[in-house]
Amino acid sequence: MSSQTILVIVLAVLAVVLIWIASTVARLDRLDDRVLAARSALDAQLVRRAALAQAIADEHPGTLGGRVEELRLAAHEALNADDTAREEAENRLGHVLRAVEPELGRLPPQLRVELRSITERVVLARRFYNDAVRDNRQLRGQGLSRVFRLAARRAMPAHFDIDDRPAQVADTPLPG
Amino acid sequence: MRIGLVCPYTWDVPGGVQYHVRDLAQTLIGRGHHVQVLTSVNDEDELPPYATSAGRAVPIRYNGSVARLQFGPVAAARVRRWLRDGHFDVLHVHEPSTPSLSLLTCMLAKGPIVATFHAATVRSRWLAASQGFLQPFMERISGRIAVSDLARRVQVEHLGGDAVVIPNGVDVSRFASAVPLPGYPRSGPTIGFLGRFDERRKGLPVLIEALSRLAPDHPDLRLLVAGRGDASDLYAGLPDRVGDRITVLGEISEDDKTRMLASLDIYCAPNLGGESFGVILVEAMAAGTAIVASDLDAFRRVLDDGAAGVLVRRASAEALADGLAQLLADPSRRAALVRSGRAAVRAYDWPNVSERVLAVYETVASRVGGEVVVSTDP
Repeated sequence: MSSQTILVIVLAVLAVVLIWIASTVARLDRLDDRVLAARSALDAQLVRRAALAQAIADEHPGTLGGRVEELRLAAHEALNADDTAREEAENRLGHVLRAVEPELGRLPPQLRVELRSITERVVLARRFYNDAVRDNRQLRGQGLSRVFRLAARRAMPAHFDIDDRPAQVADTPLPG
Repeated sequence: MRIGLVCPYTWDVPGGVQYHVRDLAQTLIGRGHHVQVLTSVNDEDELPPYATSAGRAVPIRYNGSVARLQFGPVAAARVRRWLRDGHFDVLHVHEPSTPSLSLLTCMLAKGPIVATFHAATVRSRWLAASQGFLQPFMERISGRIAVSDLARRVQVEHLGGDAVVIPNGVDVSRFASAVPLPGYPRSGPTIGFLGRFDERRKGLPVLIEALSRLAPDHPDLRLLVAGRGDASDLYAGLPDRVGDRITVLGEISEDDKTRMLASLDIYCAPNLGGESFGVILVEAMAAGTAIVASDLDAFRRVLDDGAAGVLVRRASAEALADGLAQLLADPSRRAALVRSGRAAVRAYDWPNVSERVLAVYETVASRVGGEVVVSTDP
């Protein structure tokens, strides 16, 4: 082969690699955006849940058996936790909500419906967030992504693990 | 919300996904949302006002099934125009892993995208071969829905993703208000079967054998059979005393199906296997018909582990005959099962299913007023 042919081949390979890098960087950008959006959605639902728990503890203490203070405290901690303590605080709130569940039958129906709806959305938001994290981490770990350290300067996203199995709010009829 | 639905199959060809998209669109519109559907269609006059045509799809046979290819600059231009005109808060594509409008939309759109996976049958060679190619586009999906546990498992095992299970919706009131066929209900008991009668795994041979066992003790018992298959083949293979107990309706329309279910005393699902969901059971419960079904996992789930219908050992004509005989002899148990069935189908009713789908939309839609736009990425 002439040196000219070799040069052409090398340039072609280089072009392919550069295009591949550009498209992978675009994918990483998209996946980072997706993780951010999903995290923001998850935060919003968690905050709504904690706020509702706090409202229930404040306005309907009689419905909670002896656990009013426990619920109020758990909600307060969830609302004020920093990043490192967040999972644990939200986990505890979930457990308290499930523990008071048998008492919640005495709550006004709208609140029961709202609690059930928010609980469902927490589950969804967390599922979609963890899906985004998984896809993101998978791309970072793949082939040339790793070789060229394309994600080196981006913060690695972390899964969010809490026990969010829904409390069965007893026999709530659907509105309308 | 402004919602954009994408249907990957030809609108005016009968099919489960098409009906699903149509019913979902109508239910959401009824709830006050702004809904647009993008789909391929053979005859544009068949389209409802909320749907836009993306042209015709090219059917391509592969691996024993048919894919609907819709690629190329013309389809792409229509998708972009639909996205630009739509100003959607969220997109909802169906079956995005097939080479169709849904995949094309994932490629061309930027914004919150929800995807529903309907198929539970695994074309593993196709999926394995195309996974690498599909991955960049699957990554653009913010939230996945599967219509059954089996469909979800296909996602987890073959496409490396997870999905929320939201079942196919059923228009319960349509089945509940159906008028029985002329001449029904009869004075004697009627049991029914609906499905491809030439497909062994649908279980019709088992049912026919059970019928021949029941025939001597139940002189008035009749079996109604509807679905696709060769009726003459069916009659040819019948044992002697059973021939005049069976009425074959053949292929029937959706409307006649509701009427048939309303004409029965017991619906029978003797399937041997391979069912991912069992929507016919939901439809039978909605029509107020008692059910006897094989103990497949999917049926067990739908029938609430036997609370909403009788489960019998699969592939056994004897077990099926026993189950049918017991239920035929016990009208109060039938009535109780019908009541449980009516309660169980509420979870599959479109108002409830659409509520769950909306919860998914609301979770993925951007809070800061971001809408779906045409992507400018490579």
